[in-house]
Formats: sequence, structure tokens, C-alpha cells
Amino acid sequence: MQLNESTYETIFLLYIDNELSPKERLEVEDFIADNPIYALEMEALKATVLSAENIPYAFKKNLKNQALETSVEELEQDWDTNYTTILKEDMQAIPGLSTSFKNTLKKETASEGKIITPFRFNQHKFTYAAIAACLMVFIGYQQLTKIETLPSAASPFVKTEISKVSPKTNQPVKTIQEAISKSQANNAGKIQRKSLIQQASIAMAEPTPDNGSLSQTVMKEMPRTYNNPMTIDAIPLTISSANLDAEPTEVEKELTSYEIIDTEDPNRTIYIANFEIDGNKFRGLTRRVSALLKRNKSEKEK
Amino acid sequence: MTDIEYNDCVDNFADGVYRFIVKNIRHTEDAQDIVQSAFEKLWVNRAQVLPEKAKSYLFTVAYHQMIDHIRKSNKMPLEEETSIPHQPINQGQAELKQLLMRAVNQLNPTQKSLVLLKDYEGYSYQEIAEIMNLSDSQVKVYLHRARLILKNKLSAYAPTAS
Repeated sequence: MQLNESTYETIFLLYIDNELSPKERLEVEDFIADNPIYALEMEALKATVLSAENIPYAFKKNLKNQALETSVEELEQDWDTNYTTILKEDMQAIPGLSTSFKNTLKKETASEGKIITPFRFNQHKFTYAAIAACLMVFIGYQQLTKIETLPSAASPFVKTEISKVSPKTNQPVKTIQEAISKSQANNAGKIQRKSLIQQASIAMAEPTPDNGSLSQTVMKEMPRTYNNPMTIDAIPLTISSANLDAEPTEVEKELTSYEIIDTEDPNRTIYIANFEIDGNKFRGLTRRVSALLKRNKSEKEK
Repeated sequence: MTDIEYNDCVDNFADGVYRFIVKNIRHTEDAQDIVQSAFEKLWVNRAQVLPEKAKSYLFTVAYHQMIDHIRKSNKMPLEEETSIPHQPINQGQAELKQLLMRAVNQLNPTQKSLVLLKDYEGYSYQEIAEIMNLSDSQVKVYLHRARLILKNKLSAYAPTAS
């Protein structure tokens, strides 16, 4: 505790409020003894303390009476509780009636019906049912995915063989797959084109009327949906053992794509977008935009 | 708290509670009502109140009821203290006491309650803080301000009194 000119008042107030320890009180008293000028200050503060007064409360008796009245009620409650315990003990002491006598007092009642529940749903059955349902869903999904991933050979058109004999060479004509495998061995550069043929799901042999020669058209079958209309890539192709080894013709290189659009379909949406702008107009537009940006920039700088 | 302990509380604390209230509101009948209701509350809650906390409980209840009473009446009745009996004291002390009480009555209700609880009942800052629902530091600051106000008022009254 530091007593000085700036702290003495607070410490004096604590002193008169009896909030200082005995040691601190002694320090204050020593400080005042050493500095008599603060004695008057201490006296002035001590004068603000109210002296004890005896102001009696005249109605203490009433407060006590209230307590006594209520205590009588409590006594009654205690007596009631004691009395009930005594009564209970007496009741237990009296022997009960025999069961045979009780049965004679009973009256006949209608026989109780038995409720038959055909199916009781419990947790085990629910678990089995859930497992069975999951298995069914899994197997069904597998079956569906198998159907989807079946090779194009599933199509009735795929394994259609081209004519057995070439009209030019009189040699047996190989099937498309055999021809493709052969061409893969011969020319690696042809892989892309041959794979296209291999991927074709429909190989349709179409005999030409003239010369009895055969020309085949490989067709791609696309799924028929609204967003993806059926597209047929028709490749006029004359496949024989002779021309499979030869270089592909120009017609073969260019794949012609046809799209069949169902124009009468009310749900079909065709998106058409066209935007044209003159060069001068575009320049004018860019100038205006740049001028606007510059103006905004200058306003921000301001 | 048993019935006997409750009656002991009436004997020991009723005067102090009444003095504290009557000095604050300066109305004997209202002070008596407040004291009675405070003891009623103590009686109702005697099972929860420990005997050593009974005094603090009584003062807390009485203080809050007094605040409610002041708010309801919205005024401080200026009843003369002639109705309060005084102990016979000598002339100088009587003058000083009157001056001091006049100065105390000019304090605001919080400062007045603080001074009364400190000087009459001798409560510590912490106990006063619990009764008046204030912090210890608030009690210290408010009480010190009240003391300085009283000191200034007494020094102002002193020349006229002399």
C-alpha cells in the first residue's frame, strides 16, 4: 500500500469503511502521525459515518405469532402422517381373505376371444425382406447392364454374310470380320477405318443389279431419341478379298452423315442461332464501350 | 431453518431491517409493511434459507421491495423524522447528526442504501454487492462518491451550524 498525496483519499475511505487489514490500518495511522496535515482530512471523512441508532420494530410479536400459527398446521400434518402409518400397520396385521372365498365371490364372465394374427411383422422378417429386395435389385441391374453391353452381333443384321463367291476372282468371299482381321495385319494405318467398320452394328449386304457384283453398305444404327436423332452413316463399300487389300477409295474416306428429323414431333426443339455484325458497326460499338469505361475510370479517380 | 431459528431472526434482525427501510423511505407505516412482507417471504422459503444467510436474505428482500415501493409511489415522502424516536444525546452530537442525516437524505437512493448498509449494519463491500445486486467495485466507487458528497455537504453546513 502506497500512501501519498494522490492515493490517501481512497485509502482513508477504505479505512473508515473497515475494509483494510489491521496491518494496513496501522500504516494509515502511522502516516497520519507522520503527516498531521492529513489528520483533519481523516476527521472530516470520519464525520460522514452514521452512528448506530436504535429504532425498534414494534410488531415483532405479530411476526412470531404468524410462525406459531403455521407451526400448528405443521404439527397437524405430522400427526396425519403418523396416523396413516399406524393405519397401514394395522391393515397389514389383519390376515387377508382366502383365494377360495374370493373365487366364490367372482362371477362368470364371457370367455376371452383369441386374436389370431396371420402375419406378425418382426425385425428378423423385415431384415430378410430387405436383403431379398436388395438382391433382386442387384440381379436385375446386372441383367440390364448385360443386355446393354452385348456386342452388336446380337443384332440380326450383324452376322449377315456377304456372298460366298466374288464375281471377279471367283474366289470365296470372306466375311466382313475376317476381311477386317486380314486388313489389320496388312496395314496398320487402316486400323481406324477398319475399326469403324467393326463398330458398325448393321452390316447389310445389298447386291447390285448389274454384273451380279455385290456391294455392301455398312450402316451405323444410332439410338432414337429426341436429343440424338437417328443418324445413318452409309458407306458404300464393295468388299471382296481383292479390294480389301487395296487402298480405300475417296468415297470410302468421306463418311456421309444423314440425320433423320421427325418434324412432326411436337416435343422437338431445334435451336437456330445466327448473329451478324458489320465490321464498322463493331468498331463503333467497341469505341463506345471503351469511352464508357474510360469515363467510369475517370469518375472513380475523381 | 427451524421455527425457533426463524423466531431468533425476528428478534435479531427485525430492528435492523426496519431501521434500514425507514431511513431510506422515511415513512414508518410503509417501512413496517415492507419488513412484514420480508419476514413473510423468509417464512415461506425457510426450508431453502440457511440460518447464517438469513440476515442477508432479509436485507436483500427488503431492499428490493423498497425499490419496488419507491418505483410505485414514484416519489420520496418527506415525512419529518419526528416520528422516529431518538436516543438522548448531547447538543453538539445532535446537531451534527441532524446535519449528517439531512445530507444523507439528499443522496440518491443507491448511495443512501449503501451508506446505511455500511454504517448501520456494518456489511462488507461484498455483502452489500450481493444485497443490492451490484459488483464489488461498483459498491466501492458509489460509496466513496457518497462519502465525498457527505463530506462536502457537512463542510458547507458547518459554518451555518456553528
